[in-house]
Amino acid sequence: MRQYAIRRLLYLPLIIVLVAIVTFFVLRLPWSQNPVDLVSTQTTTPQQQEAIKQEFGLDKPVGEQFVIWAGNLFRGDLGKTFQGRQPVWGQITSRFPVTLEILLLSVAFSTFFGVLFGVLTAVKQDTPIDYAFRVFAVFGQSIPEFFLLILLIVLPSIWWNYAPPVGGHVSIFQHPWTNLRLYVPPTLLLAVGGSAGMMRVTRSTLIEIFRQDYMRTARAKGLDNPIVVVRHGLRNAVIPIVTIMGYQISALFFGALILEQIFSLNGLGQFLYQSLINADFPVIEFLVIYSALIIVVINLLIDLSYALFDPRIRYS
Amino acid sequence: MATQPTLTAAPDLGVWKRPSILRRLGRTCWQYPTGVFAVIVLTGFVFVGVFGPSIAPYDPRGLASGTPLTGPTASHWFGTNSLGQDIFSRILAGARISLEIGGATVLIGATVGSFLGILAGYYMRWVDYIIQRSSEAFAAFPALILYFLIIAAFGRGVKTIIIALVISAVFSSNRVLRGATIIERNKTYVEAARSIGCTERRVFLRHVIPNVLPLTIIIMSGALGAAILAESALAFLGLGVAPGTPSWGIDMSGTNLASARFGHWYLVIFPGMAISLVVLAANLLGDALRDILDPRLRR
Repeated sequence: MRQYAIRRLLYLPLIIVLVAIVTFFVLRLPWSQNPVDLVSTQTTTPQQQEAIKQEFGLDKPVGEQFVIWAGNLFRGDLGKTFQGRQPVWGQITSRFPVTLEILLLSVAFSTFFGVLFGVLTAVKQDTPIDYAFRVFAVFGQSIPEFFLLILLIVLPSIWWNYAPPVGGHVSIFQHPWTNLRLYVPPTLLLAVGGSAGMMRVTRSTLIEIFRQDYMRTARAKGLDNPIVVVRHGLRNAVIPIVTIMGYQISALFFGALILEQIFSLNGLGQFLYQSLINADFPVIEFLVIYSALIIVVINLLIDLSYALFDPRIRYS
Repeated sequence: MATQPTLTAAPDLGVWKRPSILRRLGRTCWQYPTGVFAVIVLTGFVFVGVFGPSIAPYDPRGLASGTPLTGPTASHWFGTNSLGQDIFSRILAGARISLEIGGATVLIGATVGSFLGILAGYYMRWVDYIIQRSSEAFAAFPALILYFLIIAAFGRGVKTIIIALVISAVFSSNRVLRGATIIERNKTYVEAARSIGCTERRVFLRHVIPNVLPLTIIIMSGALGAAILAESALAFLGLGVAPGTPSWGIDMSGTNLASARFGHWYLVIFPGMAISLVVLAANLLGDALRDILDPRLRR
């Protein structure tokens, strides 16, 4: 187990370096967008363009650029954005809480409701409750998340002449109520697709488990049904649930960007999106590596947690 | 003169006869109404995708075909947008881009992915190792980052979106097919075929392939839904087709979204419903096909 964890930890930097190399060179493919053109205006002279190119360090050979960039990154210098020449790090720290809160709330909601509905439908298999929630699940997986978020803005404005708050992030620690009023409704809707997927996985896993002999034994011992379902059923369904959670977190990166876009929140997703459009290399490079790091760490934790949830699992 | 022996119909002994294919099809349809609904919707989608611009009541790009920003009326069923374009016509025309991207993704991505998955599952060894490691890395990686890297490399546009979605489809479909193939190749009938002297090629082509192939259809149906969802989200962000092109995702963004915030709901609701309906049909078809083609999963 410990050996396995160490080996996986050793792979981690390897993956990150690979992602860094791919990102760096993909952005500088000869036919890719040229950031110098994007910061130039009509009055920019060729000499000025040359100066901008030097300022960004794009005049050097690509290999040398990579070495300089990697060295700076290693020392914690993320450079400045091409657009506006702001330090990248300052932007990241101010935008990070927005995206983090969106991700945490969405994962929490989708897991909570997904598992709850999954248990409910598995216990009440083939009853009207089961059918109703399965209809919800099919719809939840079919409606685009941006459509749900748009509905959240449009429908209340038609029905009650009310518009949910948009933009203006406030810290949850200073104004918890204002903050939650801004974040809870959209993240709840962002979690619809995820909870639908989670519900289906939980339901089918549980139904499979309910057929096992140990479930009959547990009932025969005279245990109450809730205890049988939770301790003997749900406990054995934890692994698929955790696996799906991992996939959902990486899928939520897209959802978070869309939410930030529709609700005018200045998060990391929007930062990445703007930088992509502006070919703002320092930002794209850092954010891609950063998301890769987060995802790799989460996956490692999930893999290791299998052994925690199921002592039968041994890594060799 | 001896009479010719006449043929009489065999007396009905109550022997079970396999019902005609029509009857069996009818029964399947009766059992899976959602599947029938899905087939009807998807057929309509393909039809509109091919003929949309020609059956549209107005020119989807034509300006001022009605008073701008008017809600649904008898002449403009879904209303008109701020340029006076007919929204119903734009939705009909917008099906084409979804069909193009969804169709290309399914045909190229799911086919190649299934093929690789079957190969990996059957032959194992290093082919399997490479395919497996890369799909694992891929499955964990956020789609957003992949799409953005591909867009950074190839620029914005339809081709880029197709490349990105095809790559996702290849990786997601090959995992499923690989798993199914591994299960099949270890079954008794494969062993039986080998023991009576079938060549490896014959076992693969005549025994394993026919048994995993139905899964490909299920995969394709799921991939279609996923591709249309992803395409519309990218179009919504303005990373897909050129602005102004009739496209469900684009028509829900920009000025239309801004006007929708001020009560012009029809601008975004109808394109959104179009996307949802098609994706819903693709998902329902996948579920129905899984039940029909894979009896082991029936419950």
